[in-house]
Amino acid sequence: MAATRRLQKELNDIRQSGLKSFRDIQVDESNILTWQGLIVPDNPPYNKGAFRIEINFPAEYPFKPPKISFKTKIYHPNIDEKGQVCLPIISAENWKPATKTDQVIQALVALVNDPEPEHPLRAELAEEFLKDRKKFTKNAEEFTKKHSEKRPSD
Amino acid sequence: MSDTTPSLTAPISLSTYHQLSLTVDSATIRNSGLFKPNPYLQVVIDGKILRKTEVIKNTLHPKWREEFTVLVTPLSQLLFRLVDHHSFRKDHVIGQKKVNLLKVLYYFNGKCENVELCIDLMKTVSQDSSSGNLTTEVKTADLILFLDGLRIDPAILSQSHDVLGEASNARSPLNDGVRARIRSRNNLETIRSMLRSQNLRPPPGPPPLSNGAASGATQVEGAAGPSNAEHNSAESTAQNFLAAHENLAAPPSTATTPATPAPAAEEPLPAGWEMRYDVYGRRYYVDHNSRSTSWERPMPLPAGWEVRRDARGRVYYVDHNTRTTTWQRPDTERLARFQHWRGERRHVVAQGNQRFLYPATHPPHPHPPGPPGPDDAPAAGSSTTSAPSITAPTSSANSVAGAANASASASASASASGGASASAEEGLGALPAGWERRVQPDGRVYYVNHKNRTTQWEDPRTQGQEVSALEEALPPGWEIRFTEEGTRYFVDHNTRTTTFQDPRPGAPKGPQGAYGVPRAYERSFRWKLSQFRYLCQSNALPSHIKITLSRQTLFEDSYHQIMRLPAYELRRRLYIIFRGEEGLDYGGVSREWFFLLSHEVLNPMYCLFEYANKNNYSLQINPASYVNPDHLLYFKFIGRFIAMALYHGRFIYSGFTMPFYKRMLNKKLTMKDIESIDPEFYNSLVWIKDNDIDECGLEMWFSVDFEVLGQVIHHELKPGGDKERVTETNKEQYLQLVTQWRMTRGIEEQTSAFLDGFNEVVPLEWLKYFDERELELMLCGMQEIDVDDWQRNAIYRHYTRTSKQVAWFWQFVRQMDNEKRARLLQFVTGTCRVPVGGFAELMGSNGPQRFCIEKVGKDTWLPRSHTCFNRLDLPPYKSYEQLCEKLNYAIEETEGFGQE
Repeated sequence: MAATRRLQKELNDIRQSGLKSFRDIQVDESNILTWQGLIVPDNPPYNKGAFRIEINFPAEYPFKPPKISFKTKIYHPNIDEKGQVCLPIISAENWKPATKTDQVIQALVALVNDPEPEHPLRAELAEEFLKDRKKFTKNAEEFTKKHSEKRPSD
Repeated sequence: MSDTTPSLTAPISLSTYHQLSLTVDSATIRNSGLFKPNPYLQVVIDGKILRKTEVIKNTLHPKWREEFTVLVTPLSQLLFRLVDHHSFRKDHVIGQKKVNLLKVLYYFNGKCENVELCIDLMKTVSQDSSSGNLTTEVKTADLILFLDGLRIDPAILSQSHDVLGEASNARSPLNDGVRARIRSRNNLETIRSMLRSQNLRPPPGPPPLSNGAASGATQVEGAAGPSNAEHNSAESTAQNFLAAHENLAAPPSTATTPATPAPAAEEPLPAGWEMRYDVYGRRYYVDHNSRSTSWERPMPLPAGWEVRRDARGRVYYVDHNTRTTTWQRPDTERLARFQHWRGERRHVVAQGNQRFLYPATHPPHPHPPGPPGPDDAPAAGSSTTSAPSITAPTSSANSVAGAANASASASASASASGGASASAEEGLGALPAGWERRVQPDGRVYYVNHKNRTTQWEDPRTQGQEVSALEEALPPGWEIRFTEEGTRYFVDHNTRTTTFQDPRPGAPKGPQGAYGVPRAYERSFRWKLSQFRYLCQSNALPSHIKITLSRQTLFEDSYHQIMRLPAYELRRRLYIIFRGEEGLDYGGVSREWFFLLSHEVLNPMYCLFEYANKNNYSLQINPASYVNPDHLLYFKFIGRFIAMALYHGRFIYSGFTMPFYKRMLNKKLTMKDIESIDPEFYNSLVWIKDNDIDECGLEMWFSVDFEVLGQVIHHELKPGGDKERVTETNKEQYLQLVTQWRMTRGIEEQTSAFLDGFNEVVPLEWLKYFDERELELMLCGMQEIDVDDWQRNAIYRHYTRTSKQVAWFWQFVRQMDNEKRARLLQFVTGTCRVPVGGFAELMGSNGPQRFCIEKVGKDTWLPRSHTCFNRLDLPPYKSYEQLCEKLNYAIEETEGFGQE
C-alpha cells in the first residue's frame, strides 16, 4: 500500500515523541489506515477526562486528508453529537500533502482546549459559551465527568 | 476465522474476547413512590468494564436505545444495574440482574444474533420479621436489551462442559427472570409473498445469448485466475472481490474500515444478512443473498423493494413502486440521486427543443465530390471482387476478403500512377489497422476504412494533425518544442527567447485576426462542422432502419435493436417508432429518442456513469460499473449511440467531462484536467509541483492506491515503483505518471468498450478536426444564453459590481455571439450548458456555486479559470481593448494559456 510507509513512519515518530496530550494510540496491524487514541486536554472544563478519537486515512493519503471523529461524547461547540469535528488544517482547501498527522493532532488538541465559537458546529453551545460561560463550564464539566474516559495515570 | 478454532484449543477459545453489540432499549419501572426516578443503566462486565447510558429525567418508562460494543468472552458475566440519578444525593440502585452469557449462548446454540433479552431487575429488600433479618428479592423493573454480532462455534461451547460442568444443565430455557427470543427479521414474510406475486425481469441485460456468447460475461469468466494475483487491473480486482465473496470471507484486510458511527437505534439487519467479526474484531456484514460481504451495515430495503435472482444466478433488486430493477443495492444516497434523476425527466424534452447548433446549410465546399464507397470502388470492376451487397450483414466478411484482393490490384496501379504521392507518404508508417489505401482510375488516392465501411480522401495518418512534413524549415537557430500541455512553441537559440508565434514567413502572424489574435489561433468551428457533416453525408447509406420501442423499456429496447444491427447500418436514416403512438418520424421523434435515451443511460441505478465531482452536469464513467455484470456491452452500446447522435446531427441531454472528450480525441491529459474531476487531488499535485519536496518527509514512492467499493487497489506507476522514492529530481516524471493514472484508473476497459462502439459508427479519425469543447457543442448543442440572468446571478471577489473591469466584462459578453458565449462559459464552468433553472442554479464541486469573477494578478497576465468553482480570475486590465484581447486569447486557445 502506498500510504502504508508514510503512515508507519508518522506513527513511529508520534509514538517516539511521546505526546502528552495524545495517548494510548491503537492501530490495527492489518489496517494502518485507522488509528485510535486518547485526547487528554489540559484546559478546563475538559481537563478531568480523556476523549477517544478515531483518525481515518483515505487510501489516497496523503493526496487526500484524513478524517477525524470523536468516539467519546463531548460537550464542545466545535464537535457535534455524532463526533464530527471541523478542523481547518484537514479541510479540502487547506490540505497539503506535507501536513503531518502530528500537526493535525496538535491542532485538534488546541481546538479542544480553546473552543472557537466563531466557527461552531453546535450553534447552541457556541451561544452558551459566549453568553453564559459559567453555565457552559458547569455543563461541560458534568458532561465530561459522565461520558469521558479515564485519563492515563502516568 | 477466529471462531472456528480447532477443539483442542477450546479452553483458550472460551476465554478469547469477542465483540458483542449490546443495545440498551428501554425499561419499565414499577412505581414505588411519589417521585418518578431519573433512570440510567450501568453495564458491568466481569466486574470490570463499565458502560452507562444517558440519564432520562423523570420517567418510569425510559427509552435509551443506546448501542455499545463491548468485549466479552463466552464465560462473561454481564451485570445490568438500573440506577436513579440524583443531583444532590448519591445515586441509588433501582434494581439489577446478572446474566450469564454462556447460558444465552447455549440457548441459541452459540449464536447471539438479533437476540432480544427481557430481564427482570431485582432489588434486595430486607424484611424485619420475628425470625430475624430476612432478605428477599423483589422485582422492581423490566429491562429490554438487544444482543447482536456474537457467534461462537457450538463445538467450542460443548467443550465447555468439561470446563464448567455446572453450566451443562443450562440447556433448559433461560430462567431466573431472563427471557430471550430472536427478533423477527425484517419483513421476511412480505418479501416471500411478493416473490410469489409478480414476475419482474432483471435490469437491462444483454439478450439471453447462448452460453458464453455474451462477451462481457465470458471475459469475466476468462479472467478468473488465481485470486491472489496482483490487483493491477479492475477486472482481476473484480474477480478477487467475487472470489472473496464465494468464501464469504471477511472483506480483504487491505480495505479501510469505514468509520462506524453507531446509530442511536440500529435497525435489524435485512433478511439474509448477517453480521460477523473478522480476526481483528472488525465488524463486517455478510449478504447471503448475493454471497457478498461489506464493511457497511446494510440499510433494510426501502418499502416496496425486493431482492431477486435472475436465471444466471445474479442478484438484482426490484422496486415495486416504480416497477424498475437495478443491480446495486439501493441505499439512501443512491435513492436520492435516483429521485433527482427522475425529477429531471420532465425537463428533458423541453430542453431538447431549446438546443441548436447551426442550420444544416451547405456552404460552398472546398472538396470535390466524395470518394467512392467501399463497395463501388473502382476496384469493384476487378473480377475478383464479390458482388457488393451492403444490405446483407453477412457479406461483410466476403467484402473484406474481396477488398483484400482488390487492394492488391489497387496497390499495383498505385505504384504505377500514384508513385509520387506514395513516396510523399513514406515516413508516415503503416496505415492504422483496418485501413487501406486505394487509387481511383483517374489516379486519385483515397482511403478505405474496413472497420466501418467508409472511405475518405484524407490520409488517416495525417488527418487532423499539423502536417509537419509539408512545413517549411525553421530559420537557423530555431527549434519547435511543446509545452507539457502539448501546445507548440518556438525557441530562438540565437536570442535565447521563446515565443508562441511561428517565425516562418508563410505562417499566419501578427494582429490580423478579427479578435486581435493571430489568425492561426482563430478557430472556424462552422467550417470544421460542415466538413464533418460532409463526411457523414458522403458515407450515408440508402434506405432507413426502423427502431421500435416502448417508452417503459426504452433502454432495453434500444440496446437490443442497436446491438443486433451491424454498426454500419446505423448510418441509415433512422425511423423511430414509439409503440402505441402514431406519428411518422420526420426527425422530431428521433430527436426525442436521442434526448430521452441519453438521459436514460445516466440512470444512477444502472451504475454506468456518475456525475463528476458532484457537479451536476458532466458525466464520467463509474469505476464501480462492474457491479453491472454486462457493463462492457453497455458501454459499447452507448459508444454506438453517441456516435449515432453525432452522425445524425442530434443532441444528447447531458454531456461528458472535458477530460472524457479529450480521451475521445486521443489528446494527452494534463494535470489541469484533474482539477475538474477531483480538485482535492489536483491541489495536492500542484503543491508537490510547486514545493521542494526533499525536506518534507512525504514518503512517496512510485506507487499509488485507490478504493473502489471498499477495496483498495494498488498500482505501481512503473516497474519496481514500490522501491523508488519520489524526490525533487524525479518528481516531474512522478507527476506525469500519477496524472496518467488518475485519469484512467478503474475505467480503462469501459472507455475502450465505449470507443470501440463509437468507432464502429463514426471513425474517431473524423473527430480529429475538433477540440474537446467543440465536441461538447456538437453533442449537446447550444442554448440561447440569457446574459441578463447571467449577470444578475454573478458574484465578485475583490471586484464590485461597479468595477470598471466588471463593466467591461459584461460589455464584452453582450457584444459576442451565442457560440462565443458558450465558449466563455465552457472556459469558466467547464460546460456550455446552463441549468434548467438558469444561472442561479449553477453548481460547483461543493454544491451551488455562482459564476464568480475574481481580481487576480497583473494586467500582463491572461485570465484563468477554476471550473470546479465556476470562477474566472480576471486581472485588472487597463483598457476595454486589452480585456477583450486577453479574454479572446484565453477562450480561443483552449490549453496551456488560460488555464494553469
